[in-house]
Amino acid sequence: MAGWMAAGVDADDRLDFDAARHVLRSTARRMRPYRGTAVGAVALLMIWTALLVVLPVLFGRAVDAIDSGNREVLNRTIVVYIAITVVNYFLWRAAIIGISRTGEAFLRDLRRTVFSHLLRLSMPYFDREKAGVIVSRMTSDIDSLAEVVQFGLQMFVANALLLGAVAVVLAVLSWQLFVVCLVSIPLIYVASRKFRRDANAAYLQVRDGIGSMLSRLQEGLAGVRVIQAYARTDIEAERFHDVNHDLFQSHMKSTRVAAWYLPIIDMSGVGTTALAIAVGGWMARDGQLSIGTVVAFILLLQNLFEPVQQLSQLFNMIQSAGASLHKLYELLEEPVEVAESSEPVVLSGRGVVEVSGVGFAYNDGVSVLADVDLCIAEGERLALVGPTGAGKSTLAKLIARLYDPTEGNISYNGTDLRDASLESLRKRVVAVPQEGHLFDGTVRDNIRVAKADATDDEIVAALKRIGVLERFEGLPDGIETEVRERGSRLSAGERQLVSLARAAIVDPGVLILDEATSSLDPGTESIVEGAMEALMANRTTIVIAHRLTTASRCDRIGVVDGGRLVELGSHEELMNLDGAYASLFSTWIGAQNPT
Amino acid sequence: MRRHRRGIAAGMFIGLVWTIAKVVVPILIQRSIDDGIRGDDSLLGWAFAIAAVGVVSGIATGARRYVAFQNARAVEADFRDQVFTHAQRLHFGFHDRHQTGQLMSRGNTDLQQFQNFITMLPITFANLLTVVLASIVLFARDWQLALAALAGLPLANYFGRKFSQNLHPALTAIQEESAQLASVVEETVAGVRVVKGFGAEQLRFDALAVEADDVRDASLRAARARANFIPALEVVPNIGLIAVLAFGGHKVLDGDLEVGELVLFNIYVVLLIQPLRMLGMIVANFQRATAAGARIAALLDTPIEITSPSSPTPLPQGGDDDSRSIGRIRFKDVDFAYDPTNPVLDGFDLAIEAGESVAIVGATGSGKSTVARLLPRFYDVDAGSILVDGVDVAEADLEELRRAIGLVFEETFLFAASIRDNISFGVPGADLATVERAARLAGAAEFIEQLADGYDTVIGERGFSLSGGQRQRLAIARAIATDPRVLVLDDATSAVDPTKEHEIRDALQEVMHRRTTIVIAHRPATIALADRVVLVDGGRVAAQGTHDELLASSELYREVLAHDDTELPSEDGAP
Repeated sequence: MAGWMAAGVDADDRLDFDAARHVLRSTARRMRPYRGTAVGAVALLMIWTALLVVLPVLFGRAVDAIDSGNREVLNRTIVVYIAITVVNYFLWRAAIIGISRTGEAFLRDLRRTVFSHLLRLSMPYFDREKAGVIVSRMTSDIDSLAEVVQFGLQMFVANALLLGAVAVVLAVLSWQLFVVCLVSIPLIYVASRKFRRDANAAYLQVRDGIGSMLSRLQEGLAGVRVIQAYARTDIEAERFHDVNHDLFQSHMKSTRVAAWYLPIIDMSGVGTTALAIAVGGWMARDGQLSIGTVVAFILLLQNLFEPVQQLSQLFNMIQSAGASLHKLYELLEEPVEVAESSEPVVLSGRGVVEVSGVGFAYNDGVSVLADVDLCIAEGERLALVGPTGAGKSTLAKLIARLYDPTEGNISYNGTDLRDASLESLRKRVVAVPQEGHLFDGTVRDNIRVAKADATDDEIVAALKRIGVLERFEGLPDGIETEVRERGSRLSAGERQLVSLARAAIVDPGVLILDEATSSLDPGTESIVEGAMEALMANRTTIVIAHRLTTASRCDRIGVVDGGRLVELGSHEELMNLDGAYASLFSTWIGAQNPT
Repeated sequence: MRRHRRGIAAGMFIGLVWTIAKVVVPILIQRSIDDGIRGDDSLLGWAFAIAAVGVVSGIATGARRYVAFQNARAVEADFRDQVFTHAQRLHFGFHDRHQTGQLMSRGNTDLQQFQNFITMLPITFANLLTVVLASIVLFARDWQLALAALAGLPLANYFGRKFSQNLHPALTAIQEESAQLASVVEETVAGVRVVKGFGAEQLRFDALAVEADDVRDASLRAARARANFIPALEVVPNIGLIAVLAFGGHKVLDGDLEVGELVLFNIYVVLLIQPLRMLGMIVANFQRATAAGARIAALLDTPIEITSPSSPTPLPQGGDDDSRSIGRIRFKDVDFAYDPTNPVLDGFDLAIEAGESVAIVGATGSGKSTVARLLPRFYDVDAGSILVDGVDVAEADLEELRRAIGLVFEETFLFAASIRDNISFGVPGADLATVERAARLAGAAEFIEQLADGYDTVIGERGFSLSGGQRQRLAIARAIATDPRVLVLDDATSAVDPTKEHEIRDALQEVMHRRTTIVIAHRPATIALADRVVLVDGGRVAAQGTHDELLASSELYREVLAHDDTELPSEDGAP
C-alpha cells in the first residue's frame, strides 16, 4: 500500500500499434547479447509461478487426506509442501538476480549508445533542440525504464503468470465452480479500465503539479535576495501557497482514484469467495466436489485479485516506458549532419584559409550568409565586425567546421574541410568560445579537455606561454583546484583564461576568438588581453570583435552585414573608404567619450 | 500538527472498522465450512454474511487509504508553506551560508520522507490492531497451534526492517549516481561548443561510461537487497502454513480441531504477513523520518535576524514634485564584516545629498558592493549607523525602507515570467505605460518591442533566452519602475555590449535627474555619469572628487582604472 506505483503517459506520447511493434523489435535486437540470461530468468519465473499455485492445491489435498483420515498422504503432502517452499525461495531469488542483471546491462548499453550518438550529432542538432529536452532523453526517459527494470518488469511478468496459472488451476479443479467465480470479471474489467485512465490522468496532473511547485520553490529560494529587496516576501509566499495547494488537490485527486478502485477489487474478492462457498459448499454436500477442493478454491481466490490490481497499476508504467524507448530510438535514428569523409585527409602545418562562394542557410531555408569570398593568409590577423545577427559568428563556425556551408566551400591549405579528418581539423582550427565553459573537475582536467593526453609539463608550459601560470598557481590548490559545478569558484575572467589555455595547448594553425562582450574587473581584463595577445602572436587569427578598438589593431577588418561581407581592408583603408566601418567606428568612439 | 488531529482520529476509527472486518471474514469462512458445508447450516446465510462483511471491509480499505493520505498530504502542504515562507524571511547572512540546493531538499525530499511516515501512521495503527486481534482469536481457538503457526511470523517483521535498511542506502546510491550521470550529460550539452570545438567527444564519453557503470553497480546492489529479502519474506508465511498442516492436520485427525479451523489458521497466517512486514518497514522509516523532521524543524526554528522594529519611524515624504528633497544618505563611521576575522568596512563615512549621484570605485574586495548591500539593510552594521533622510535604517519599517531603495544587483536574477511581470515586480499591478516607461529609461524598450510577443514574452528556463546585457537592462527597468528615492546600480551594465552601453547611459541620465543615485562601476564612461566619485580602499573612503580631479590627484585611482580597453587607441593616427 505504501508502494503505490505511479506512472503515466501523455496522450501525444502514447504509442500506436506500429510504433509499439517497432519499439519491441528494436528492443529485442538490442537485447540479443543477453538473450541467454533473459530467457533463463523468465523460465525460472514461470516455474516459480507454477509451483506457487500448486501450494494451495496441496493444502486442499492435505485437507482431503485429513477428511478421509489418511495420515500417510498428509505427511507426504507436507514433505512436498516443504520441498516446494525451499525450491521456490531459490527460484525467485535467481529470477530477480537474472532479470536485474539483464535489465541493468541493457540500460547501461543504452546509456552508452545514446550518449555516444549524441556526441556524434553536429551543432545544427544542438541548435534545433532545447538543451533540456536533450538532457531529459538521457535522464528522465532512461530513468523511467530503470524503474521498470528494477521492479516493474518482474512484477508484471510474475503477476501475469500468476493470474494465468491460478485461472488454469481453478478451471482444472472444477470448471463448473470456476465459471461461477467468473461472475465478477465484467465489473473488474470495466473498473480496471476506468482506473487505468483516471490514474494516468491523475498521475500526469500530479507530475505537473510537482514540477510547478519545485520550480516556484527553486525560484523563490534562488531569487530570495531580489524578492526581499523589492519587499515582495508576502506576495511570493501567497503565490507559493497557490501552487502548493494545487499540488495538494492533485494528490487528493489521485488518492480518490485509488479510493474507489481498491474497494471494488477488495469486495469482488470477498464476494467471489462467498459465492465459491455457497456454490462449492452445495456441490461438496452433493458429493460432486471434495471439501479439499473447495478449500483450495477459497485459498486460490485470495491470490487472484491481488495480481489484477497490481497489473492495472503496472500497465501505465509499461506504457510510459514504451513511450520513453520510442523517443530514445528516434534519437538514435537522428542523422549525423557534419560527418567525417570516408577517406579523411589529415591536416597539418600552419594555415591558409580560403573561403570561396560560401553561403549558409538553416534547415528552414532562412539564409544567414551568402556569397562570401575571403582568403586569410598565414599569420594574418583578421577581425570580423558587424551588428548582432549579421552572420559573423556563423562565418567563424563554418571555418571551424561546426557546420557545413550550404553553398561553396572552405579549404585549409588547399584541402576542403569536408575531406579532412575531424580529429586533425580540431587540432588545426580551434574556435575559442566567448565564455569559458567549465566541466566538473580540476583546472588541469579542464585544460586537458582540448588534449586528452597532455602531460602536466605541457599544461604548465602552455599556461606559461600565455602568461597566466602565476594566476592559476595562486589558486588554493594551484592547477589542481576543483572548479566545482559550472566553475562557480573561478571568476568570469579565470574561466576565460582556462578557455584560452585550452587553445594554447592545442597550438592550432588557425585560431578563432570570440571577444567577450561583458567587461571584467580591470586587473583581470589586462591578463585576459595579454593571454589573447600571446596566443595570437604569429598565428592566423580570426577575431569576432565587439570592441572596435580591438578590430582597429588587426591587419584586416571584414564588415559583415545582412549575411554578406560588405567591406574588407585595413583600418586605414576602411576609414578612407568612409563606408559602413567608418560610420560604425565614429559612433563607437563617440559613445566611449561622453561629454 | 494540532489542527490535523481530527483527521488522525478519523483515520484511527476507520482503521478499527477495517481491522474488525478483516479479522471477521476468515472466521465466517471457517464457520461456513464447519457448520455449512460439513454441518447442516444454511450455506446461503453464511455466504451472505461473508459478502456483507466484505462490503464493509472493502469500503474501509478505500476509506482508510484516503484518510491516511489526506492527512499526510495536508501536513506536507502545510509544512512546505511554512518552509517557503520562513526561508523567504530569513536574512541574507543565512542565505549566504546555505546553498539553494540544501534548502530545496528541506522543502522537497525531507518533507516527502516525513509525509511517507505520516501516511503510514494510521495504517500502522490498524496493522498493529490486526496482529493483536488475529492472535487473540487464534490463541483462543488452540493456543498450541497458534504458537506453532505464529512462531515464525516475527521473521516477517525482522526481514521487513532489514530489507528497508538494506534497500534504502542502495536506492540513495542510485539517486546519487544518477545525479552524477545527469550532470555529465548536462555539462556536455551545455558545453557542446567546447566539446565540438576541441574534439573532446571521446573524453566526455569516457566520463559518461564511468557514470553508467556506477549507476549499474548501484542498481545491482539494490537488486541484491531485493533478491535477498523478497523471496525470504515469501517463505515466512509458508513456515507458519507448514506448521499448521503438520501440527494442526494431525490434531484434526485426532478429533481435536475442525477442518474449517485449519483453513482459518491458514488465512490468518497469510493475512498477518503484510501488516508485520509493514511494521518492520516503519521502524526503519521512523529513523529517516525523524532525521528529516529534525532538519525541517532546525530551519523553521532559525531566528530571523533582520526584522522591522516594533514601532518603526516613518521615512519623511518629499515636498512638491519639482524639487526632490528626499534621498539624503549618511553612512556614519560604519564597521562591517561578513565574518568577524575579516573586516570589510572599517570606519566608512560618507554623506550623499538628496538628488546627488555618486560613483563608488574601488579594487576587487575593497568593500564597494557591501556599501550597496547595507543601505537597504540586507545586513546590520557592526558599528556606526546608516541614515536615509535622517532615519536610521534600523529604525525604519523594513518594507518601506526597501521600497525606497531600488538596488540593481551585480548578478542579474530574473523570474520565469513575462517581461512585463518582471519589470513590474516591485509594483504589482502596474499599468503597461509604467512598464514601458521603465523599459525605455533602462534602454530596454527597443529590443523588447522587437520580440514577437513584446512585453508578454515569457523569459527564463523554459522561455526565451536573453543575452546578459538584455537581462541587465530588464533588471534596471525593474528598479526604475518602483520609482525609488535612491537608485543603486551595482556594476549593473557590465554585461551590456559596449556598442549599446551609450544608449543606456543616455537613458539613465533622465532617471538620475534629481534622484539620489549610487553607481558602482569601473568603466570610466559609466563613472562619468556621476556628479562625484568616491574611491574606496581598505573599507573606508580613500579619496573623493570629480573623475578628472581624482585622475590627477590619486595614484590608486589611476591604478584601479588602469586597464580598461575603452580607452582610445594610442596616439598614432587614430582620429
